[in-house]
Amino acid sequence: MASQRQATSASQVPHLSPAELSYLYTSLSLPKSPIRPDGRSPTQFRPLSAETNILPGTNGSARIGFADGTQAIVGVKAEVEKTVVAADTLDSRSLGQQGDQLNREGGEGSAAVSGQGEWVQMSIEIPGFRDDDALPVFLSEMMKESLVGSVEDGKDAEMAGGLKGRLVINKRWHWRLYIDVLLLSQPLAYPLPLLSLTTHLALLSTKLPKLKSTGEEDPFFDDDWAVAEYLYPRITTKPTKHTPTAQSHPVRPPVTLLVISVGENIIFDPNREEIAVADAVLAISVTRTGDSDVLKLLSIRTIDPPSRLTNPGIPNSENVNMLGATASGESALLNPATGEDEVSRVWRPRRGGVKRSVIARMVKAVLGKGGVGEEVLEGLEGVEVI
Amino acid sequence: MKSLRRDTSTNPQAANVTSKVYVRSTRSGKVQKIVRELYLREDIPCSSKLCSQCPKIAPADANGNIAPFILSDRPAGTKAFSKGHYLLPDTNALLNGMDLFEHTGAFYDVIILQTVLEELRNRSLPLYNRLLALIKSDEKRYYLFFNEFRRETHVRRGLEESINDRNDRAVRTVASWYGTHLQQSAKKAKKEKTMPTIVVITDDKENLRKAKEENVTALSLSDYVTGLEGSEFLLDMISDSKDARDAKEAARGDLFYPEYFSMSKLTTGLRAGTLHQGIYNVSPYNYLEGSVKTSAFDKPLLILGRDNSNRAISGDSVVVEILPQDQWKMPSTKIMDEEAVTRNDNPDSEENEAVVTEKERKALQEEVKKAHGKNAEGKPQPTAKVVGVIKRSWRQYVGHVDSGSTGSQAASGRRQQNVFLLPMDKRIPKIRVRTRQAADLLGQRILVTIDAWDRDSRYPTGHFIRSLGELETKGAETEALLLEYDVQYKPFPKSVLDCLPSEGHDWKVPASKEDKGWNGRRDLRDLLICSIDPPGCQDIDDALHARQLPNGNFEVGVHIADVSHFVKPNNPMDLEASVRGTTVYLVDKRIDMLPHLLGTDLCSLKPYVERYAFSVLWEMTPEAEIVSSDFTKSVIRSREAFSYEQAQLRIDDKSQKDELTDSMRNLLKFSKVLRQKRMDAGALNLASPEVRIETEGDEVGDPLTDVKTKAMLETNSLVEEFMLLANITVGSKVYEAFSQTALLRRHATPPPQNFEDLTNQLSKKRNMELDVSSSRALADSLDRCVDPKNPFFNTLVRILATRCMTSAEYFCAGAHAESEFRHYGLASPIYTHFTSPIRRYADLLVHRQLASAIGYEGEDGHAVIEGVSTRSKLEDICRNINVRHRNAQFAGRASIEYYVGQALKARGEKVAAAGKDSGIEEDGYVMRVFENGVVIFVPRFGIEGVVRLEDFVLPGESGSRSVAERRELAPHRTTDFDSEEYTLRVGEKGHPEKERGVTVELFQRVRVNVSSVKEEGRGAGKRRVRIMVIEA
Repeated sequence: MASQRQATSASQVPHLSPAELSYLYTSLSLPKSPIRPDGRSPTQFRPLSAETNILPGTNGSARIGFADGTQAIVGVKAEVEKTVVAADTLDSRSLGQQGDQLNREGGEGSAAVSGQGEWVQMSIEIPGFRDDDALPVFLSEMMKESLVGSVEDGKDAEMAGGLKGRLVINKRWHWRLYIDVLLLSQPLAYPLPLLSLTTHLALLSTKLPKLKSTGEEDPFFDDDWAVAEYLYPRITTKPTKHTPTAQSHPVRPPVTLLVISVGENIIFDPNREEIAVADAVLAISVTRTGDSDVLKLLSIRTIDPPSRLTNPGIPNSENVNMLGATASGESALLNPATGEDEVSRVWRPRRGGVKRSVIARMVKAVLGKGGVGEEVLEGLEGVEVI
Repeated sequence: MKSLRRDTSTNPQAANVTSKVYVRSTRSGKVQKIVRELYLREDIPCSSKLCSQCPKIAPADANGNIAPFILSDRPAGTKAFSKGHYLLPDTNALLNGMDLFEHTGAFYDVIILQTVLEELRNRSLPLYNRLLALIKSDEKRYYLFFNEFRRETHVRRGLEESINDRNDRAVRTVASWYGTHLQQSAKKAKKEKTMPTIVVITDDKENLRKAKEENVTALSLSDYVTGLEGSEFLLDMISDSKDARDAKEAARGDLFYPEYFSMSKLTTGLRAGTLHQGIYNVSPYNYLEGSVKTSAFDKPLLILGRDNSNRAISGDSVVVEILPQDQWKMPSTKIMDEEAVTRNDNPDSEENEAVVTEKERKALQEEVKKAHGKNAEGKPQPTAKVVGVIKRSWRQYVGHVDSGSTGSQAASGRRQQNVFLLPMDKRIPKIRVRTRQAADLLGQRILVTIDAWDRDSRYPTGHFIRSLGELETKGAETEALLLEYDVQYKPFPKSVLDCLPSEGHDWKVPASKEDKGWNGRRDLRDLLICSIDPPGCQDIDDALHARQLPNGNFEVGVHIADVSHFVKPNNPMDLEASVRGTTVYLVDKRIDMLPHLLGTDLCSLKPYVERYAFSVLWEMTPEAEIVSSDFTKSVIRSREAFSYEQAQLRIDDKSQKDELTDSMRNLLKFSKVLRQKRMDAGALNLASPEVRIETEGDEVGDPLTDVKTKAMLETNSLVEEFMLLANITVGSKVYEAFSQTALLRRHATPPPQNFEDLTNQLSKKRNMELDVSSSRALADSLDRCVDPKNPFFNTLVRILATRCMTSAEYFCAGAHAESEFRHYGLASPIYTHFTSPIRRYADLLVHRQLASAIGYEGEDGHAVIEGVSTRSKLEDICRNINVRHRNAQFAGRASIEYYVGQALKARGEKVAAAGKDSGIEEDGYVMRVFENGVVIFVPRFGIEGVVRLEDFVLPGESGSRSVAERRELAPHRTTDFDSEEYTLRVGEKGHPEKERGVTVELFQRVRVNVSSVKEEGRGAGKRRVRIMVIEA
């Protein structure tokens, strides 16, 4: 285990022979129509079951289970905390020689203090890993980045400044958010999509107690949990003749999707075997902006592909046993997708890297109208969030 | 992508588990979501004696007994509910009508829901406690039904449903469940008997409407009460309901008082130190001036006028904001009486109401002028205004109806009208009460409670509870006193009496020493012990002895009644005693802390019989140096019970040569030495204006001769010295044993600024100095305050000095640092109360602690140290007995004051019958000088009173005028007040100075005429002691 953990930040490498790897690679890289081991289409996700608010003690929680048995639980807890007055706030105070007047007037306007990224704390627990191992640390950093990074410029006052802004209570107080992510099973595949989707659902169901105090007073909350407000505000549309009461979220937490490229193909939600032969593994974070239906790309991070650590197959030309045998048809060819010399049907560990055009196609597949991103968000929307 | 949700609807167990979710904000600022799981059950009984099912399923205790069923099988009914009914009140009904529910004439068989009880606790803790008491008592048949735990009656909160709506629904659900449940059980029992109706009582209109929809019988409280007998009387007991007030508020938009800050704004301000919290106190001389002592400042902050006091009532815990410096003022130098200033208010007309009436405003303006004029030399004090109330300390108030406020319709029968109630306590504002029985209530002492004080009302509104009887009748006035000082005066309940020894008065110390009663007790029966007490004392706490030892030293013993032997910790008697805290002595009545049997017989160290005692024994050298001290439980036999006079006579009688007298002489000798030592250490000789009333005199004689100032005999001081010594010795012993939990008594060193006024006055008027640097210095300087021409002057200064000090208090050793234990007045580093366990609960606790400290193991061999070892519990007890102790003192004083008034009245009537001038002439002393009057202390009766301008009899004027005539004089009086010199000159308008004018100054001795007068005119029916200055 230890060596595996050291080996890669991605999931464990399955024990596949070079021949198997080569077979997998070939079928996945078939132009236009890759054949995936489980028969899915390139953009198809594994079926999952999801529910929210499973942990009554938390402010919000969710559970998602994939059909292969991997399950994750996310709990979100919020705590009121005093804001340490930053240096620039102090400055403005000393500058405010004009006196109280300025302070009073500025009360509302300057209340929009921008939040800080440290207010969101995320910890990921994966069985068999210590919490300071590379995988959990890397995953939590990556997920937190998109979470606190999504800043709304929008007109929606409540979510101004994104999640960070939402956590501001007033100049002196803020919420601190603890997101605890727990993977319940051994990570069969790279757990990022599972964890990200679960976190997304948990955040959607997260509520904060309703604030009763106003302005710069010490915060004081309504003790009725039923009136608590959602962290990500919802809009309830009045039921019409045709549609029942529906709720929609103008702003949603980001979702991080895992995409691999194999040859010219791009494949979503890869399983363990697929990752093992990927040319490149990318984590793409998207979110929906407040005012439009257009998805917004938050980040693309590359992930060290495990395929570079696989054992290579040996082409006949280099095989001592085969010395002298005819090497016809075994000439090295240039793989157009990766720009590497390859002998067909002989596995060679991937050296990583991805072409611009492939990335462009990935982004397009995610963000495009009716694309994967939209599909995922819609699917998650279908989960009844209580 | 496809997602599936796990389905839980088919889980059969899911219905039995539910949870309650709420948000809790902790004091440290944390905000937590709290989830409590609820496991629903089906075995919670309905507790109706009619039910045949519930007895089978009700949970049984370890002995297989189920709790007895409470609700009667023949509940009372009304005209509308001839079959009888069970009542099911909601929270608002209880909030508005708790007095009704406590009423003994109606409201039996009531089902109290857990939901309602919890809601009530959040809304009003005092009402919650009263409801609990009702549920506990058997006679009213109140049943607490845990509806939230029973599966059928548990109600899950719907989406978007408010808590209130949900709770209302819970009440209705229970009502309909009870209905069907009882019906079913009737069917099963084949008794087609008519079942009682379940009547929901609610004042919520929406709830009433929904109840109708759901076929649940529901009535508003007033509708229900209207159907009862004597309804007009009962209706008065409903508090001024919120709905009615809301409606009123909506109708009229004008609000007189500023709104309170929001809770969060208050806490922010308090934390930031911009707002201050404290108890609001009203000056007894000026109802418009209050003060709030805050922890931030040494001196209390002044609160002037109604605007600033903003609906706070004396005793409330308030939050104040300091006013800008230009609004700081001098404290008032004027006497202002609400009754006099607002005499003409009409309680019904609210149209021309203003917070500050024109008259009040004028009075205040003059104040301000004064303050501004003095600004140069006098220092204005910081003033503040009330911006929020943390906790109301409203209680029930005793008072009488202001006859002027009943208006002309008083005679017109049962119409509901507003009247003003004038509380006995002058610091409490008038209370507006709605009543239908105004005419009947005139001239009665009545009990009311305050319901609310809204922004649109000048006075608080309240409702009538009951009448105590006619004004000035002994019963009514005594009960009024007890209620006013919160003295528990009801007879001991049976549970307490059950704790008494079964032998009753025949109980004796066991004859055989083998008896377990003798375990750990020393036999001191052969000692020559005697007790010295006030005459007629029945509860003898203490007895003494002294004898010479072979080595030339003396053995001195103080023996205290062993009350802790009879009162075991945590039994009902102990709990009752800890609530009562102390015995209260009124002039003609004693309200015992312990049942009669113990206090005056079994515990009392009566002469000639053997009694259990707790003894403190010292070995002393002839110079009264203590060689050793010893504590033991003992058995004693007192040889004689003396009164102070008897003892004094016996000691002084040279012909008495018996051992007992010798022993007393020795005691006296030691006590003198001890006293001198104490004085040398700096103990203060304080004075309080106490008089004693001896009611044994014949009825026919002049009742005033019963009023005696307390004489100090040597024997008084003898007993006092040894009690102090015993208390000090025991104090250090229990502290040694229980460093955290010892119950001690301390008297904090008063801050020097408390004495500022007195020091100023003394140096101005008498050129005397008061050194307050230490208790020793103070004692010495008090000794120097002597006026050869005025022998009472020294006592007067002592009385005033005593008022500058803080009061002594009980505390738990762990609550203060050891250096703070000091008893300032006694100049002792440690002190406790040990010597009067019959009449003080603190002493009883100290007995238990001491018993445990000396390893006394009790009758059955295992020491009971319960109640002496938990600090938090002890601190609660300390808090209670401190309050009780103070109240008992106040009640005692008020009782004497009342008695003096009555004695004066009786005398006045007798003398008046003989056709002479009423009133009695006495010496009085000026204690305080105001701009429009003085406060005079009359030592003969131990009373002090305000003398207003009209009550100065000017030279050449006849002193005998009625109150009404004198009042006419007031506008003609001129005054010249010098606040720096503390003098007041009263003259008459239009008269040349000199001849007709009186000047009084502070500390001056004046001749006064004391009489008891009945107020006439609008304030009719109230009697007060009137003091007139007749000669300055």
